[in-house]
Amino acid sequence: MRPNRAILAALGVLVATIALWALKEQGPNARWMPGCLFHKVTGLHCPGCGMTRATVAAARGDLVSAFRYNPVGMVVFPLALAALGAELVAWVWGRRIGWHPRPKMAWTLVAVIAAFWILRNLPWWPFTLLAPPPG
Amino acid sequence: MQWYYSKNGTQLGPVEQGELIAKMTSGEVAPGDLVWKEGMVDWLPSGQIGELRALMPQSPPPQYGGAPTPYAPPMAAPYGSGEVIPSYLWQSIVVTILCCWPFGIPAIVYAAKVEGLKNRGDIAGAKAASASAKTWCWVSFGLGLGVIVLYMVFVGMAAASGNL
Repeated sequence: MRPNRAILAALGVLVATIALWALKEQGPNARWMPGCLFHKVTGLHCPGCGMTRATVAAARGDLVSAFRYNPVGMVVFPLALAALGAELVAWVWGRRIGWHPRPKMAWTLVAVIAAFWILRNLPWWPFTLLAPPPG
Repeated sequence: MQWYYSKNGTQLGPVEQGELIAKMTSGEVAPGDLVWKEGMVDWLPSGQIGELRALMPQSPPPQYGGAPTPYAPPMAAPYGSGEVIPSYLWQSIVVTILCCWPFGIPAIVYAAKVEGLKNRGDIAGAKAASASAKTWCWVSFGLGLGVIVLYMVFVGMAAASGNL
């Protein structure tokens, strides 16, 4: 184990936990949350739009609302966090992780995110279901 | 020179180089066991480190002890075959989702390229893509964090002056 890496990792996890707790307590529309700049500038939804509200809903146990806010994010984000967690543990212990995303999987993810970005901005049903509901 | 080594997932050491050579010679440290010293980018199987093998009384060929290892099989490449080039794929995805900046997108694309380039043997290309992915991750992370912090400062100042 590398102590300075362990301290950094612990600090990172602590900050993330505090941020999640503050979000859960204050709600996604708290005044200090900037919201999505891309959305503010263009009026369009980015692949991450709705993710703050989805995270808060998930933290409060409301998975249905969470998926309504950002269906792709609710699948990809936990996956990415789990993979990052494993990488973080390996990093702290000075080891390598034995598993790497296959190229096909990586490109599938790229395609899914790009398609999601376009489709959730289309004004017709059923694509409107992909856009985060207002509020 | 101080070396660290690992047995069964436990990190051991530091030991002097001579002691590590003795452990490798006696078989206590197998060629597949990972070793590391200050200055190395990452842990490598001891059998792949030329400077250690050269110092052993009789240099056996690197063996991988039967058990499947997470490392690429040895090949006649100029680069260490155990070398892992990080793709930063998950980091890219997290910053894209969290920071909401378009800069996460080039990070994801570069990250997706890394493994394919590496599998085709283009180590230099894979390293370049990995470095680009890392850069874009940090750009996205920094800008995202910067915006949030600036926004909080702005909101805080507005609230303090009673405008909100």
